[in-house]
Amino acid sequence: MQHFALTIIGRDRPGIVSQVTEILFQGGFNIADSSCSILGGQFSMILIISNPAIATKEEFSDTFKPLEESNLSVYIRTLKPGGEIRTELEGDLCIISVYGADKPGIVYQVAKELGDRHINITDLNTKLIGGQQNPVYVMMLEAMLPADTEIETVENWMAELKQKLQVDISVRSLAVMEL
Amino acid sequence: MAVKEVLIYPDSRLKENCAPIIDFDASAQQLLHDLVDTMVAAGHSVGIAAPQIGELRRAAVVDVSNSKLGKKQENHGLLQMVNPEIIETEGSQIVREGCMSVPDYTGNVTRSESIVVQFTDQNQQLQVIRTAGFEAVAIQHELDHLSGLLFLDRVSSLKTDLFRRKQK
Repeated sequence: MQHFALTIIGRDRPGIVSQVTEILFQGGFNIADSSCSILGGQFSMILIISNPAIATKEEFSDTFKPLEESNLSVYIRTLKPGGEIRTELEGDLCIISVYGADKPGIVYQVAKELGDRHINITDLNTKLIGGQQNPVYVMMLEAMLPADTEIETVENWMAELKQKLQVDISVRSLAVMEL
Repeated sequence: MAVKEVLIYPDSRLKENCAPIIDFDASAQQLLHDLVDTMVAAGHSVGIAAPQIGELRRAAVVDVSNSKLGKKQENHGLLQMVNPEIIETEGSQIVREGCMSVPDYTGNVTRSESIVVQFTDQNQQLQVIRTAGFEAVAIQHELDHLSGLLFLDRVSSLKTDLFRRKQK
């Protein structure tokens, strides 16, 4: 079955989720996977959807017109076959917390340390907190460490970065207990 | 060996409140055997509760001593528990749990850091043990099954909750 990625974003207000999902429900869509959150003042929705009767986005893109009319931006991406299936990731999860006085490049430099070593970031959240006088940048990320990468090794990389960026960084393993 | 099939949600038996075992008879003994055999056969599993194999009776087994996480901590090895009850709890910890009966999903759950659990063991002796860390989490998870609770009922925070709470 053809799957699509649907992204919707707009000024947060009550009723967005029901407005979007009503259209999906009426149109016979399945929501296979989704994540929705408030970013700044914007409510953002990312959904993987499918409909047994629909093969191309042209067949249904018009059904979202009412959303555009109520100031929501809608973007549809057609997934390649199998694009809806999560890749099986092997390894141990770790959480990296980074926080400190706001400055350019915090996210990039931490991500680069991991990306250059082919370590997969599986989740990432950032937020600017504190007052206007002393803005503090907070970033939390989850990454999947391959079997040959020890958490101590990551701690060493981050210790260097901590010096360079003058921020606080902590690394800890996230125990997933399969019970 | 009696390895049983592990029930997968939405099997409604996973949401039942299980009955206490009043007579510790041969069938109760057999149930403990089946639980141990099924837990061992499941490979990665560190515990299993009776409703997960379709028996709506209050029994569960836990053994964290073979798991990567559990063996690093003090533990009691194989625990075979009939009518287990948590009688004391202390502290709290957040752990990411997964469950054989709810495949492909993990969630952050708040559990007590240390517990005192009372149960009748496989030799019909009343045991009271204090445990902490991974073993304590495993016991709390399995005991929830006996009350028809899945970890999905306990998920305490979405990933972004930390940030959301920071907002005024």
